[in-house]
Amino acid sequence: MIVHARRWSMVVATLAGAAVACKKAPPPPPAAPPPAAVPVSVSGVSLGKAVGADKSVAQAVTTFGTKDTIYASVATTGTSASATLTAVWTFQTGQVVKTDSQSIAPTGPAHTEFHISKPSGWPVGKYKVSVALNGAPAGAQDFEVKR
Amino acid sequence: MLPDNPDFSDVQGGSSSSAPPPAAQTYTVKAGDSLSKIAKQLYGDANKWRTIYQANTDRIKNPDLIHPGQVLTIPPA
Repeated sequence: MIVHARRWSMVVATLAGAAVACKKAPPPPPAAPPPAAVPVSVSGVSLGKAVGADKSVAQAVTTFGTKDTIYASVATTGTSASATLTAVWTFQTGQVVKTDSQSIAPTGPAHTEFHISKPSGWPVGKYKVSVALNGAPAGAQDFEVKR
Repeated sequence: MLPDNPDFSDVQGGSSSSAPPPAAQTYTVKAGDSLSKIAKQLYGDANKWRTIYQANTDRIKNPDLIHPGQVLTIPPA
């Protein structure tokens, strides 16, 4: 009788162990949601005489010679399936020198360059480049052309 | 002495980006639309109607005549 009782206790212990072994592991905590897409915005406008392969200005300047090609590099952050950057170059009188647009679909930080040149030489004076993102003013830089 | 309005007609320019260009979009013409109106809406510049026209010459025979329901390809600006 004692042996019988021991067998039963072993069976119960074995089943209890199996139950513990089969206990489902707790579900992992839910994965963190992907970061929300940050809409594209302009983070800066730099002027220079050249841009690198990444379209950024290595050496920012605000004074140019009459024969220089003038570059404006627009830094953007965020993402967009379609955005339009527009650069309007104006002379000190307000006269529009050149307007250019560039469509972009940035997936992160990016640079977009606009450049102007004038084979016959720039009139000396003060100029400005104004940048718009999707038609809304987003930045501007003044510069000067000197002999 | 500089003239008040110097001649900038020979200014050359351009642009490029490290960001990829957007994929071409489509636009379904609504009643009252014109190419310049669509260009103004999508590019912010009505004068770019020709860009839309040139991308849709297989569908638009007369740029002054587009029809509601027509689906136009809108290339990146």
